[in-house]
Amino acid sequence: MVSYENPQVPHEVNVSRESVLAEFVRLATGLCLVVLAVAAVLYFCGGALARLVPYSTEQRWVGGRVLAPISEPADVADAARVRAYLQELADDLARHMALPAGMRPVVHWSDTDVPNAFATLGGHVVITRGLYARMPSENALAMVLAHELAHLRERDPISAVGGTASLALVLGLLGGDVEQLAPQVAQAVQLGYSRRAERRADDAAVEAIVARYGHAGGAAAVFEVLAGYAGPLRGATPTLLSTHPADDDRIARLKQAAQQWDPVRQPLRPVDEH
Amino acid sequence: MELLIQLGFVALLLLVGLVFGRAAEQRHFRDLERREAEFANVLVFNERTPPQRPFREAALVVGSVVVAEDYFKRMAAALKSLVGGRLTAYESLMDRGRREAILRMKAEARARGARVVFNVRFETASLAEAGAGARPMFSAEFIAYGTALVE
Amino acid sequence: MELSNLEVIPGRQVVRHLGLVQGSTVRSKHAGRDIMAGLKNIVGGELKGYTELLIEARQEAIERMVAQAQAVGANAVINVRFSTSNITSGAAEVMAYGTAVYAE
Repeated sequence: MVSYENPQVPHEVNVSRESVLAEFVRLATGLCLVVLAVAAVLYFCGGALARLVPYSTEQRWVGGRVLAPISEPADVADAARVRAYLQELADDLARHMALPAGMRPVVHWSDTDVPNAFATLGGHVVITRGLYARMPSENALAMVLAHELAHLRERDPISAVGGTASLALVLGLLGGDVEQLAPQVAQAVQLGYSRRAERRADDAAVEAIVARYGHAGGAAAVFEVLAGYAGPLRGATPTLLSTHPADDDRIARLKQAAQQWDPVRQPLRPVDEH
Repeated sequence: MELLIQLGFVALLLLVGLVFGRAAEQRHFRDLERREAEFANVLVFNERTPPQRPFREAALVVGSVVVAEDYFKRMAAALKSLVGGRLTAYESLMDRGRREAILRMKAEARARGARVVFNVRFETASLAEAGAGARPMFSAEFIAYGTALVE
Repeated sequence: MELSNLEVIPGRQVVRHLGLVQGSTVRSKHAGRDIMAGLKNIVGGELKGYTELLIEARQEAIERMVAQAQAVGANAVINVRFSTSNITSGAAEVMAYGTAVYAE
């Protein structure tokens, strides 16, 4: 006798048991890590390649064009005097820092109240009025200048541009939204990557001011002043600080460097003695 | 900033897809189980030769349903596709669609007074919505059809 | 478990017809394979990666179908049919179904 029946079948065999959500979280985390790692490698390689561009080529390409947006100070005569003083200080520091032949950084003075300083393409260093006014001594000011000069010596500005460009290129090849994504990804990578460059610049700057003044006293004041300014104003952090999360660490290192300093026998010089 | 807004938007869609999609899926599975018990006495086979019994009537019966993925399934599957392997997110979708199609076919068979369906076949057609970005939203039609035999 | 796409099992008598059983799976190859396949499309020929993918998927679909058949006490599945449908580019669903029977 042949029978016909439909016993209940186990339907669950057709759906895998693993949780889709757990797998999703795992994969998304992995993807983020891979993307960040690839971005870091790209940024690093692009930066290293950009460093190989000769300084003379960089200057020919860039010239003074990058500085177009800097606002000119209202008091022109005073600005010219401060600029000359800063330039003289920078030139003296550059002599102690063994800048490559042909590199003569130009210092600019920006009429902005935010205390900030940065080095950029083409051998330009910009100091804002806000920073200048807040510096307690020439030693601190020299620390800032020497720090930026060290960035120029190490070719950090062009390396950052090269890194960002290589990221933008790959994002563009992958069909990403280059204009929006590249700077943000580059910034994320830079946060981690530039800490080494900052530390290197700090060390070089300390060496330079020790060579000029015989001691590293007063250098730590730069970051104390900047940290004091950034504290209450979150979001408006000066760029000199924004990529440097470990301020306390830097201040500690600078104080360490100034241990030999005797404040009585080696007084700090006031800003702009002329 | 714009990027953050976009990311937030994606996260919101993911959350909506996850919460509502999962709730709907669980509800559907419970419903399927209930109706499968209800239609347990309509028998289905995919053999072509029916038993030698005096059947009065034979009729083609069809059950079909179109099921779409939710946003979360879509992203989960897209991510999984990078590494390859089983797309579990879609497996449950396929299971739901097919069982639903069988149930609708059974319902039609019962409406005709049949208690057995022979030569059941399945068909799946994916309906990719054109013009919806690089990867169109996935939806598929599931069809189950066979011959209902009325005693 | 005997599988066949005939209606009968030669030399044996089907005594119990246990109804429809099915197994299915959705699979994709990793993105690298998709890119290789895209390149291969320029010159044509066999896409080994995808052949492999579908063979694996079919194997799993059969295993799942057999699991259902075993659960209802069958020792054979007759009239087995396969169906493959594409989900997205690079991902496919493979399904196997048939009628579970007990034969003596």
